[in-house]
Amino acid sequence: MTNNKAIMTEFKLPELGENISQGTVTKILVKSGDAIKKGQNVLELETDKAVLEVPSNTDGIVGEILVKSGSIVKVGQSIFKLQGSSSTASSPTPTETKTFQVKSEDQPSAEPAKAAAVASGPIDIMEIKLPALGENIEKGTVTKVLVKVGDMLQKGQNILEIETDKAVLEVPSSSEGLIKEILIKAGAVIKVGQPIFKIEGGIVPQKTTSAVPQAGPVVKTTVPIETIAPVSTPSSLSSLTPVPIRKDIPAAPSVRLLARELGIDIALVPGSGPGGRISNNDVKAYCKMLNTTRPAGGGSVASQPLPNFTKWGSVRREAMSNVRRKTAEHLSHAWSSIPHVTQFDKVDITELEKLRKSISGTHKKISVTPFIIKVIALALKKFPQFNSSIDMTTQETIFKDYINIGVAVDTDRGLLVPVLKNVDKMTVLQISDELVAMAERAKLRKTTIEEMQGGCFTISNLGGIGGTSFTPIINWPEVAILGISRGSMEPIYTDGNFVPKLMLPLSLSYDHRVIDGADGARFIRWVCEALGQPTSLELNK
Amino acid sequence: MSSFFQLVVIGAGPGGYAAAFLAADLGMEVAIIEKEINPGGVCLYRGCIPSKAFLHVAKIMNEAKHAQAFGIEYSAPKIDINKLRDWKKSVVSKLTGGLGQLTRARKIKYFQGEASFINSNTLKVKKADGSFEEIGFKNAILATGSRPSVIPNLPKSPDIWDSTTALELENIPENLLVVGGGYIGMELGTVYHELGSKVSVVEMTPGLLPGADRDLADVLYKRVKTLFSKIMLETKVVKMETNPNGITVTFADKDGKEFKEEYNKVLVSIGRRPNSENLGLENTKVKITPRGFVEVNDQRQTTDPNIYAIGDIAGDPMLAHKASHEGRVAVESIAGKRVAFEPQAIPAVVFTDPEISWCGLTEIDAAKAGREVIVTKFPWAASGRALTLDRTEGLTKLIIDPKTQRVLGMGIVGVGAGDMIAEGVVAIEMGAVAQDLKLSIHPHPTLSETIMEDAESFFGHSTHIYKPKK
Repeated sequence: MTNNKAIMTEFKLPELGENISQGTVTKILVKSGDAIKKGQNVLELETDKAVLEVPSNTDGIVGEILVKSGSIVKVGQSIFKLQGSSSTASSPTPTETKTFQVKSEDQPSAEPAKAAAVASGPIDIMEIKLPALGENIEKGTVTKVLVKVGDMLQKGQNILEIETDKAVLEVPSSSEGLIKEILIKAGAVIKVGQPIFKIEGGIVPQKTTSAVPQAGPVVKTTVPIETIAPVSTPSSLSSLTPVPIRKDIPAAPSVRLLARELGIDIALVPGSGPGGRISNNDVKAYCKMLNTTRPAGGGSVASQPLPNFTKWGSVRREAMSNVRRKTAEHLSHAWSSIPHVTQFDKVDITELEKLRKSISGTHKKISVTPFIIKVIALALKKFPQFNSSIDMTTQETIFKDYINIGVAVDTDRGLLVPVLKNVDKMTVLQISDELVAMAERAKLRKTTIEEMQGGCFTISNLGGIGGTSFTPIINWPEVAILGISRGSMEPIYTDGNFVPKLMLPLSLSYDHRVIDGADGARFIRWVCEALGQPTSLELNK
Repeated sequence: MSSFFQLVVIGAGPGGYAAAFLAADLGMEVAIIEKEINPGGVCLYRGCIPSKAFLHVAKIMNEAKHAQAFGIEYSAPKIDINKLRDWKKSVVSKLTGGLGQLTRARKIKYFQGEASFINSNTLKVKKADGSFEEIGFKNAILATGSRPSVIPNLPKSPDIWDSTTALELENIPENLLVVGGGYIGMELGTVYHELGSKVSVVEMTPGLLPGADRDLADVLYKRVKTLFSKIMLETKVVKMETNPNGITVTFADKDGKEFKEEYNKVLVSIGRRPNSENLGLENTKVKITPRGFVEVNDQRQTTDPNIYAIGDIAGDPMLAHKASHEGRVAVESIAGKRVAFEPQAIPAVVFTDPEISWCGLTEIDAAKAGREVIVTKFPWAASGRALTLDRTEGLTKLIIDPKTQRVLGMGIVGVGAGDMIAEGVVAIEMGAVAQDLKLSIHPHPTLSETIMEDAESFFGHSTHIYKPKK
């Protein structure tokens, strides 16, 4: 930092919250040339569930804006260039900041890994390493290798598709040259900084910062040049020298074969034997571990090859929205990992309806949902196994001492489930008020991530639309969900007569691993009876 | 197109015929295209097998001579070179004829001729009778092997041999120069020495058997120095000229000083080069490296997905046992199995006297890779069996990982070293640690005990070696 030029940095997307790795830019709140202050909102971003406003963490003048409305941006990705700022929290290290200054025009726009300045130099054969993929991402599984040996690699060309625990990313090249050797393959788990390719004749950025692992050469291998003197005596034995030992894996050939057949990279299997020797059992244990830790859902959604729909007429492909994608993943996981049972029942809400109307008159309009939430809150206290989660890795059931109930809300963006916290401590009227406010926020896309987390039980009321019954899917990691369909007047045979009663159909899905069938029936009966005698509800307590 | 095969194997050396036989056993329709009348390749016709036949003879003669030391004296041997040649031929024809029978028994279609690719699914065969036939295939395996490298600009002379002509055993020259101190030169030099030639060796590098660890090669050097008439290291051949009695060779030593010597015959054994030309590979997507090898992946599949390549043409080391292993990998891969060519150790054996063998990591490799290793050596002077053979110059060494104590490499020099190295291969492939070799009971009295005792010495104590405490 020796000259007086304005310091050029980049504003990068900061951490947004737990498990949020990316979002879609819905609005850019600044433009090139704007002077911004720390704390000023610069970006509106739609993530899986919420729309967030992203504040700047520094002062400065906005330079080139590197994203546009509709772009999907990842945590750590450069959003815009920033001039005249002091060192910021969003730039991982001061060293990195320094390098921007050297040659900022060479900065590629959308790749956080290429934060280093570019000083080119020709090198014969070099290794390309996996660049930093984002904050807290250390490794990923190669899902696709997008280039092959012999390809002429262009700078910025996507070379790999890699799946991290947060997202599937395409990894662009920071170098150019002829691909000589591919050191990884699809299915391999690779770490940031691990060599992935060897390329020849490339021009690559020299590594100028040690702070961030770069996609650049670190190891320079010399090309063996064969010199053949006219009449010389090179030894014939050079050809007898065994090929360099490939991977140094202490596993018998039969064990390596087993791993290969199971599609497991033997290099990743921890060996339990002397000297780290890997046994058949080690391979099997590793395989089992992969199967139990990998979420059961998700993959099954797209695993079957699709037919060519255009055979039957024209079709249109549309990218899933973030909410849709998250819903698909989440529900696939819930559906495939939870053994569901759905118990149906009908509750006589004739009395409840009278009560509801009487209160609605004096107060504002109250729907039936707050009453049901209140009853469920009481039921969860009475039946604690309905307020639990299962930890299969430790084989434990987790019982919760708090009662938070999620309510499925239909919005134009898709299904959202905001959560009412500590409903057991709220009155029906409070619940009603909170519910109205929450639904309003959801429709205005103002629901925060926090508001959608921490649920114990979910209620899905489709009665406003219609239907007689349905089988709701449990909102994992919860263990039960109550579905409400449309109530209707039915003739109920009581004391020798048919009496018209307002009957509300309920559908209770529960996780059979933790809840037995009899308990499921008891739970829904208890709920029905409580709703049938609404005077017992402590509306104001 | 007159015929179609699931698999066509081009070249029936140890790689090619192993591949073809396995493919047939797996139920594929297989054809072999091969120049010779029967399978066998260089290995059987003019390589491993004939050279080992002669080396056996050389060993008997040497041992008979050596028996003098025990008080047993034989008169000088009479050598009937024609009978010796016929015996070698009978060994070769027995083996290759047997392979021909195995080919027919497996219902493999055998084309004697030369193959050339028309495209990635079709070959043209020029048959031995001069006619042509087109063959369609789903997969092909290139197994065309290698041939001796030649020194350019040499005079054309019947007195300049390569390994093939040397194994013809046309005559026994009085003076023989071996150009190249590698394994082929040292093995054939040994044969001709025992048959009565005065053998000289010229080698450009500072030692014999470059690539082998020095402590192993030095044992051989010490012995052949006393047997051969001259071993010229760090010396280049500058020129060869014919003269009425043979060849006049001009050498340059390491200081560039030139000198001349006359020999009846010169054996050029400076290496081998892959046979990747004249195969019509330009009509396929197969890629060839600047050194003439065919590029292959772990399954030995070339850059043309229909075509595989195995053996010498697929890269170093050019060894029959590597080729046949690759052949089986390629066929299993074609059959849809998930396999890979991933040896941890490929054994190398030099059948000189004494033999030299090694596998896995060498000290040279470890030094190149900057890898820390512990090397333990067991000198055969402490072996009872070596003493009974009166051959105590041998050495057994282990290369061990200091952290895991795993056996990474093994090297042996001494009589029978070639047969002993297999234990090292299994140990390395199985991921054995030094304790495993130490705790496995080895039979007494054999030379294999030296491996067990060497593993013991890794732990600082070996029954037959006393090491003063530091």
